[in-house]
Amino acid sequence: MLLPRRRLIAAAGLTTASLALPRIAIGQADNRPSITIAVQQIANSASLEPLREQSNVGTRTFSFISETLIMPNLLGQLEPTPGLAESWKRIDERTVEFALRKGVRFHNGDEMTADDVVFTFSRDHMFGPNYDITSNKTLFTSVVVRDSADGMKLPPEVPAVAKRLFPALEKVEAVDKYTVRFVNRTPDVTLEGRVGSLGANIVSRRAFSEAKSWVEWARLPVGTGPYKVREYTPDQSLILDAHDDYWGGRPPIKSVRMMVVPEVAARINGLLAGQFDFICDMPPDQIPTIEKNPKFEVLGSTIVNHRLTVFDMHHPQLVDPRVRQAFTHAIDRQAIVDSLWSGRTRVPAGLQWEFYGPMFVEGWTVPEYNLDKAKALLKAANYKGDPIPYRLLNNYYTNQVATAQVLVEMWSQAGLNVQIDMKENWQQIFDANKQRAVRDWSNSASFNDPISSIVAQHGPQGQQQQAGEWTNAEMNRLSDAMQVETDMTKRKAMFKRMLEICEREDPAYTVLHQNATFTAKRKDIRWKASPSFAMEFRSVNFAVN
Amino acid sequence: MLLFAASRLFRALLTILFVMTFAFFVLRASGDPALLILSVDAPPEALAAFRKAWGLDQPIWQQYLAYIGHALTGDFGKSMRDGRPAIDLVMERVPATLAITLPALALKLGIGIPAGIYAALHRNTFADRMTMALSVAGFTMPSFVLALLLVLIFSVTLGWLPASGNDSPVNAILPIITLGTAGAAIMARFTRSAMQEVLGQPFVRAASAKGLSWRRVISHHALPNAAIPTVTIIGFMVGSLVAGAVVVESVFAWPGIGRLLVSAVANRDLAVVQALLMVIAFWMVMANLAVDLAYGWLDPRVRSARAGGH
Repeated sequence: MLLPRRRLIAAAGLTTASLALPRIAIGQADNRPSITIAVQQIANSASLEPLREQSNVGTRTFSFISETLIMPNLLGQLEPTPGLAESWKRIDERTVEFALRKGVRFHNGDEMTADDVVFTFSRDHMFGPNYDITSNKTLFTSVVVRDSADGMKLPPEVPAVAKRLFPALEKVEAVDKYTVRFVNRTPDVTLEGRVGSLGANIVSRRAFSEAKSWVEWARLPVGTGPYKVREYTPDQSLILDAHDDYWGGRPPIKSVRMMVVPEVAARINGLLAGQFDFICDMPPDQIPTIEKNPKFEVLGSTIVNHRLTVFDMHHPQLVDPRVRQAFTHAIDRQAIVDSLWSGRTRVPAGLQWEFYGPMFVEGWTVPEYNLDKAKALLKAANYKGDPIPYRLLNNYYTNQVATAQVLVEMWSQAGLNVQIDMKENWQQIFDANKQRAVRDWSNSASFNDPISSIVAQHGPQGQQQQAGEWTNAEMNRLSDAMQVETDMTKRKAMFKRMLEICEREDPAYTVLHQNATFTAKRKDIRWKASPSFAMEFRSVNFAVN
Repeated sequence: MLLFAASRLFRALLTILFVMTFAFFVLRASGDPALLILSVDAPPEALAAFRKAWGLDQPIWQQYLAYIGHALTGDFGKSMRDGRPAIDLVMERVPATLAITLPALALKLGIGIPAGIYAALHRNTFADRMTMALSVAGFTMPSFVLALLLVLIFSVTLGWLPASGNDSPVNAILPIITLGTAGAAIMARFTRSAMQEVLGQPFVRAASAKGLSWRRVISHHALPNAAIPTVTIIGFMVGSLVAGAVVVESVFAWPGIGRLLVSAVANRDLAVVQALLMVIAFWMVMANLAVDLAYGWLDPRVRSARAGGH
């Protein structure tokens, strides 16, 4: 049957309108707000590539732009949740298979497929051309950063970070368009954790290949996150636009501008003047200043980072572990939390976090505050009050100097003669030419297993042992064994023993408190802070009253 | 005159070479850029690779010779943070800094010189004391205090002006006022004392005794003679146009040379710091050269002394 011409024209018109109208409607309805976030820094390395920018500020920035197969629940306790992979399963001790989420679009409009995932973990993007899969040695590479500005050669730190994140990754292979398989050379129960860590962010193969240079790529990366990079000016600003094809729903903000405002006072004034909607990196002593104004509030949350005091066991006064034990018992940690952090953080259960899940050692605590015990330990160690230097940076960490002054007074109550020695930079802190004894540090966990923290930082390849400050044969044996152990009960027992060694018997460090980050914002914006530097700005966590 | 210009140019080049050499060694002695750029938690192999890639594992004298050799060909190295030529990074920040320092210089001269002359001509009156009291307040108040005070009043309380950033020309108003206030105060004090000294000279009394109008005595006899010390101060101010706003740029998040200097020093981005110091030294040397030439133009005695070689 032939349709009458008028009806046909009308039908064609309606069809055209039906195709066009929703777009127009979306365009007209786009009254989403744009916001400005003032931060201390966007990226220390002036790049938006997580494999180069392994920092707290980078963690925050990348939470807008790119995603991993397994993602932390930013509105929960960072427990692993399906990200770009809908599900995953263990094939064997060395192999994990991921079912990719279908319909995920990169910022350039391409659909994410197994090909992009394989490319993300390739030599071209991650490991560099000289990667020797069979080698146990940490690789390296003669590439120079100069080549990264003119071509696609990776800066040397990129393969180094990749190698640390995936020390024994044999291959990543595409099973089909939406399935990938990660194969490790050795048994590794932490592979899922590593796949979810900062640096394993999935990138667009086409966008990376089309970039003129690595530096250009790192300025304008193409990921799958809810916001895409429009313009990045290092040390100044980052402008992000909503990625409307985002798989997790249309982002609630039209554009986000992150602005670098190094001075705390300037950030606070900008918020109070209405120039900024959010300000990050707030020191806790400034919280009352903000909260005096009813239009603003400060949201704080503890993050996966603990502040530590670290010992050099080779200093003459610290050779006897009982002196280091005395240090650990002479600290009233809760007093520090209450006085310097207004009670907005906590004393954690040693160097571990609840998101370890089954690996979290319940019942473990930091050494008790007990001055009598500290004094008795010093007496037993025959400590005569000789000076012990404490190398200190000027507030590299929040409240660092104030905390150090409090600590020195507390230690002095126990009879320890600790003397602050101010330093300008980390090189001076680590300088082994002069006697080292005590310094500050903070430790994070990049994924939900002790391998990412106590082993990575205090094990044989960790910074403390690499710097020659501390070592322990049993700890090193346990570290090596734990890397390949797959029995969770045995692994947990190993971890518990590591805590006993490092925090009690032969102290390498002592945990002071959990770190926290504070964000001030307009009160009329409904938004929840994450227990991380990452910021959740998807539709589930943003609305304006 | 040519000989004079050549000798000044040679001294200028020596000064720049000295600045470059000093900066090179001091920067390398004061901290490891690998630790600062890659962070303390970077894996040891990344640190080693970074040092190797940038030649930081070479003996320092080799690094120095390579640096000077490249500098002679116009290559001041690349930023360790993002791989771009250091000199490009520096030069692209210069306009932003000049956008606040040039108007601030105009403010300094436009307010400071008339105020100084006015105070000198009304010596020991209430107006003089008020002008000088404001002047003392202006140059004793640290720029970051004044900056925060202005932000508190005009941004937070009144909401008239933005507190920081460089989104529009309006953002420049508070930085310009902050920079201009202290400079105007200094200018006023120097102009006042220079004028006072000149006004006490016999030739001023002679000019008055000749029956010249007071206005003519001031404009034709006093002011030109008071200009020499004033020009010296203006020379310093012109010399600091490029690098004189470090604190103000940090407080107002203004993306100029000052903020680049702070971040480059903090990150030990050696090539950028060296390029910055080279540009700053060059500018300062040129300003001094201009002041020297201005002396000759303003004061015939200087001109004739150079011409006569004594």
